[in-house]
Amino acid sequence: MIEVQHLTKHYGDKVAVDDLSFTVEPGVVTGFLGPNGAGKSTTMRMILGLDRPTSGLALVDGKRYVDAPAPLAELGALLEAKSVDKGRTARNHLLALGATVGVNGRRVDEVLDLVGLTDVARQAAGSFSLGMGQRLGIAAALLADPSVLLLDEPVNGLDLDGIQWIRALLGELASEGRTVLLSSHLMSEMQLVADHLLVIGRGRILADSSMADFIATASDDRVQVESPDAARLAELLVGDGVTITSHEAGRLEVSGVGARAIGDTAARAGIALHQLTPAIASLETAYLELTRESVDYVGSVHTEREVA
Amino acid sequence: MTTTTTSPVADGTDPRPAHGGGRHPGAHEAYRLSYARVLRSEWIKLRTLRSTWVGLASVVVVLVGFGLIAAGVSTGSVAPAGGGGGGGPRTQGPLDTVLLGANFGVLLLGIIGCLAGAREYASRMITATVAAVPTRGSVVTAKAVVLTALVLPISLVATLIAFFAGTAVLEAGGATTVALTDAGVLRAVLGTAVWLDVIALLGLALGILLRNTAASIGTLIGGVIILPGIAGALLPSGGQSVLKYLPSTAAESFTQLTPPAGDLSAGAGALVLAAWLVLAIGGAVVAIRQRDV
Repeated sequence: MIEVQHLTKHYGDKVAVDDLSFTVEPGVVTGFLGPNGAGKSTTMRMILGLDRPTSGLALVDGKRYVDAPAPLAELGALLEAKSVDKGRTARNHLLALGATVGVNGRRVDEVLDLVGLTDVARQAAGSFSLGMGQRLGIAAALLADPSVLLLDEPVNGLDLDGIQWIRALLGELASEGRTVLLSSHLMSEMQLVADHLLVIGRGRILADSSMADFIATASDDRVQVESPDAARLAELLVGDGVTITSHEAGRLEVSGVGARAIGDTAARAGIALHQLTPAIASLETAYLELTRESVDYVGSVHTEREVA
Repeated sequence: MTTTTTSPVADGTDPRPAHGGGRHPGAHEAYRLSYARVLRSEWIKLRTLRSTWVGLASVVVVLVGFGLIAAGVSTGSVAPAGGGGGGGPRTQGPLDTVLLGANFGVLLLGIIGCLAGAREYASRMITATVAAVPTRGSVVTAKAVVLTALVLPISLVATLIAFFAGTAVLEAGGATTVALTDAGVLRAVLGTAVWLDVIALLGLALGILLRNTAASIGTLIGGVIILPGIAGALLPSGGQSVLKYLPSTAAESFTQLTPPAGDLSAGAGALVLAAWLVLAIGGAVVAIRQRDV
């Protein structure tokens, strides 16, 4: 379990993390989301004791990580993928790290096998691809069988095999009762793997809820309708609180009326429907709605939004 | 896919109860951070880098090789390039001649030390290290201990080989030599080996303090090797009383058979150098504990 209490970090005048409080429960995968610069990495670094909080407290299984009697066995972390000496082999890298708590060579080989690096275990880490480096970082995190895992962008650089592998791995680690906190920019990936969500923006908590509840907040009731007689159907649907948009002939995007009502209206008027699809709210839409206000860096290319 | 089944510890035995799916408190009795384990970790790091061995091998080559060449030159058996026959550096005694390589060895070991300290900052390995040892201070002292464990014996052996081999060349050439049993010779030979180790440790501390390989090498060479010479020329005559407390001047008091007039006594010099060492390593410990990584 990770408990963060009133955690605050200032870098000069800039407030990176602002009075953050949350709890990450064991047994589930918790996703950590937020725009670039929202303070995710800083928060993770403070939990791990790499950065000193300006004020507040981060506890790992009830104590500060600095006070852990067996640090690597308490918390395994993947923060900077390339925090490896390029001149050292993967196996020696893990041996050196593991030695701090008494992890032996047999366990190192076991973890190398688990992440699929056995064949390159005796190659210099500097020769590794991004994905292999990522696997080595995950191996380091799992080395001493920790009860808490902190993974910053673990799928970064992994191929499809790797992504499916880590998805299964994270689920299994959580089901074993471990605490798993991971950040990712890939919303679709996060939606598949996380059970719980923490969303932060500008160093503050924006949301702390289950994945299902969070997506439900997106309240997306748009329905895609395709009909050869779209114009007549639109006339019939017009009413209070109903918005109808059409980007091309024969297609409507309707909100304010449910799919069932649209279908019934069409049936009564004898209008054929070729498609009637309620938009499924996704993590991405929910997330975008929530963080629109708190994005630090806005790109110059705007996605076209519906014209009412 | 299985994540973890058993996790036996380094000691061979496996006192840890096998655990199934659920986690329970005390699942990790066998895994514990200890100073001995931090030492082991740092030893693995040091010995698994090729640069460590290449660097130390060059120290041996330089110490022994330069000693032999200098001895050969001074007896005239090796003619200096473009030189007018034998002769060579007449100003220095036989001990200075056979230990000539130590001047370059100091440079090399200083660099090896800086690399040992700053290398993890360059690779960002320091993040993983500090995550594994969040108390941090022991990382610095463990690095110092394992570096000494490797450097001191090698320096000692190389210095002794340089002494005996160089002396043999001098003897063969009929030049004056000194024996280990002569007054001060053993102290100077051992002192040279210790100074070689201390310079590596000062480099290590600077590397950690400055977190940058080039900056720490520059500072070490500038501050410890070049500054005393320049300052001696620039400072008014009274400045000499300050200069003798600089690390390299303090080291002279016990590495030289006849230290320059005005230097500290050998014992005082050793104490001053030890103080520098404590200050540097202590500073590195404080810095690594205070700073964000």
